[in-house]
Amino acid sequence: MTAPLLEATGLGKSYGTLVALKPSDLRLNRGEVRALIGSNGAGKSTLIKCLTGAVTPSGGSVLLEGKPLPLGQPGAIIRSGVSCIYQHSNLAPMMSVMDNISMGRQPTRFGFVDRKTQRTQVQDLLARYGIDLDPDALVGTLPTVKQKEVEIAKALAQDAKVLLMDEPTGWLAVSDVRRLHETVRLLAAKGVGIIYISHMLDEIFAVCDSLTILRDGEVVTERAVDRISRTEVVAAMVGERLARESLAAADSGRKATGSGEVRLSVRGLGRRGVFRDISFDLHAGEILCITGLIGSKRTEMIHALFGSAPHDAGEVLLNGKRLVPRSPAWGMANGIGLVPEDRQHEGLMLGMPIRDNLVMTTLRRFHRFGVLRPRGIDRSVSSLIAALNVQPPRPAQLVGRLSGGNQQKVLIGKWLARDPSVLILDEPTVGVDVGAKAEIYALLRAARDRGMAVLVVSSDLEEVTTLADRIGVMNRGRLLSLRPAAGITRPELVAEIGADA
Amino acid sequence: MTGLMTRAAPHALTLCVIAFVMILAVLEPAFLSGSNLIGILRAVSLVGIMALGMTFVIMTGGIDLSVGPVSAIAGLVAYFALVAGHGLVAALLAGAGLGLLIGIANGLLVASLGLPAIIVTLGTLSIVRGSALLLGGPDLHGIRDQAAYSFIGSGAIYGIPVPVVIFLVLAAMAWLLQSRTPFGTLVAAVGDNERAAWLSGLNVTAIKAATYGLCGLLAAIAGMIQSSQVHTASATYGKFGTELDVIAAVVLGGTQLSGGAGSVARTLLGVLFLGLLNNGMNILNLSIDIQLIAKGAIIALALSLAARRTG
Repeated sequence: MTAPLLEATGLGKSYGTLVALKPSDLRLNRGEVRALIGSNGAGKSTLIKCLTGAVTPSGGSVLLEGKPLPLGQPGAIIRSGVSCIYQHSNLAPMMSVMDNISMGRQPTRFGFVDRKTQRTQVQDLLARYGIDLDPDALVGTLPTVKQKEVEIAKALAQDAKVLLMDEPTGWLAVSDVRRLHETVRLLAAKGVGIIYISHMLDEIFAVCDSLTILRDGEVVTERAVDRISRTEVVAAMVGERLARESLAAADSGRKATGSGEVRLSVRGLGRRGVFRDISFDLHAGEILCITGLIGSKRTEMIHALFGSAPHDAGEVLLNGKRLVPRSPAWGMANGIGLVPEDRQHEGLMLGMPIRDNLVMTTLRRFHRFGVLRPRGIDRSVSSLIAALNVQPPRPAQLVGRLSGGNQQKVLIGKWLARDPSVLILDEPTVGVDVGAKAEIYALLRAARDRGMAVLVVSSDLEEVTTLADRIGVMNRGRLLSLRPAAGITRPELVAEIGADA
Repeated sequence: MTGLMTRAAPHALTLCVIAFVMILAVLEPAFLSGSNLIGILRAVSLVGIMALGMTFVIMTGGIDLSVGPVSAIAGLVAYFALVAGHGLVAALLAGAGLGLLIGIANGLLVASLGLPAIIVTLGTLSIVRGSALLLGGPDLHGIRDQAAYSFIGSGAIYGIPVPVVIFLVLAAMAWLLQSRTPFGTLVAAVGDNERAAWLSGLNVTAIKAATYGLCGLLAAIAGMIQSSQVHTASATYGKFGTELDVIAAVVLGGTQLSGGAGSVARTLLGVLFLGLLNNGMNILNLSIDIQLIAKGAIIALALSLAARRTG
């Protein structure tokens, strides 16, 4: 066995008495794609931060090609050959691909940027790794997947031998995920070592060679992906009990038309140039999942139902009564709730406490003669926090400081607090760890069982097949099909989503 | 050490104010006299009243540059109403009502035009100043034989100047509004994340109209107190720089210019800090040029500390 590319030994970090990461080992070979997974708080981010230099470990050492890595010094670590591609873009959108790739290291002649050499260098690099990018395109005009490739090229331009990729497919469409995975495999074939952080088990089994699972600040499992099953992975991540419960819930009966009572009826809904001819019934007590590629206009369609986006054809009936959606306030007054896709920009007040976020939609209930009744709010907030299992369970905690999964629970909770008769959710578990996902599914199933009509838009097929009572597929602004979920397999769904795309 | 710093940071301004008071008290015992303390409050009452309204505006992520001219035109309108013999109540209502209307117009423009508040209110700053000059000309209008009106600016209740009483009453009301009513939470929500606020069913336009309206109303009240204090009304009162003092007080208090976090209570602390600064420098007999330089430096320093705290 050859010496590993990267070898971390006894790497650990504690803050005072709090141990974020127990002394852990991690080995990565040349050309290996290693998945790093674990629930939020499992120590995953701490480990990554130790490797990028953002955090100075309390103990342990890291060798890169046998040489010690300058821990705690982000700049020096990048120069040694360890780069990280973050979930959110770190590119300059108004600059060209070429300038972004060689940012800060443009070749110069007499103090001026040497454009010709810069171009040759960038083109060579792209050719060497088989990345197809136009060096002159403005980064801001590129689709998200191409921007990820720019980031990868930028890291490679810095002679990265090890690439850390943090949730690289968070906002990508299915076909783009495949494309990115091809790039990842290509890099591995060239000898780059990749640490791939993701919550999506599908992706891990598709692209990774091996996986390291963290739980409660320590490595619990390290295995080649072909020697571990999906169920074992989930069990290792969340612990046996939660895994068993979520499995049981997923297998419990599906209720294809809920209680049979039609709650929301959509007839020929359309918006010129965006979507058209959308017709379906949403029943009380069912979870209807609508899936499809990004760009299939699912988001636009559900916003039209809620009143936060326009429509110009068709009609919406709620309990048989015709509605003309006008504004979110109007949608809410009629008992509709919408959990938007982007919790950071559309969903939450990140600078405000959990408490204020949770009462945002119900504030009207808690005042007498215009003065707030703090005790009523506190009671409601405490019971919501308990029901949602928000961690930490402190009402005064700023939402921006919570993990993704807990933010998402607060976002869903603020709508559950209204107990709407129709709840629409857009990508309810993007960037949420497996444990929180299971909890969110349990919340939605409980709401369904209370008789709520739940409409979920999701690109995550694992989610759709786990959660749905019925599944609809949208493509280019049209609803292609709508069927009971029982018996639909994921490959069938993939084929249908991609059909005619 | 860093732990202590982090824990102390939210109280930095309070500690500053206390340290300031102690230093001044040692340097100049007269500083602690009742009359000097009341004098400080009297000196900051006008800026303080305007800062109350500005707090709400800045919490929505906006800003109102037009408070100076609004205060001037309110004083003028009240003057003309008095001269025309409409009586005190009508005069005050006219001035306050005009300020409220200008503010609401500001809010509606900001909410509907999609322009930054700094541009919109820069526009109204100029429009209102021009209108005031059109109305009152460049002259000072002396207010004579209006005992009731003069009492507002120059009178005292149990030895406390009326402007200070008005400031404290308004401050208490603004504090209640911000911390004890749904409105305060909604204002912060709009400032923190306007799109999320709208998607949560809030009427963002109405909330903005109300906050700018409140700001205009309070600027008008301050303007009428000022004209009463100096027994004159003029289109040139609320001179350039007034809005900067007001904004400085709010931001010193810790309300974020980007919106969201903020509180009336902290604004009051900011106002007090500015008042102490001015008073201290007067007591120390610093010349006005040095005072301006020192004030600017201290404000910049305080704000950079605040930025470190949140950054």
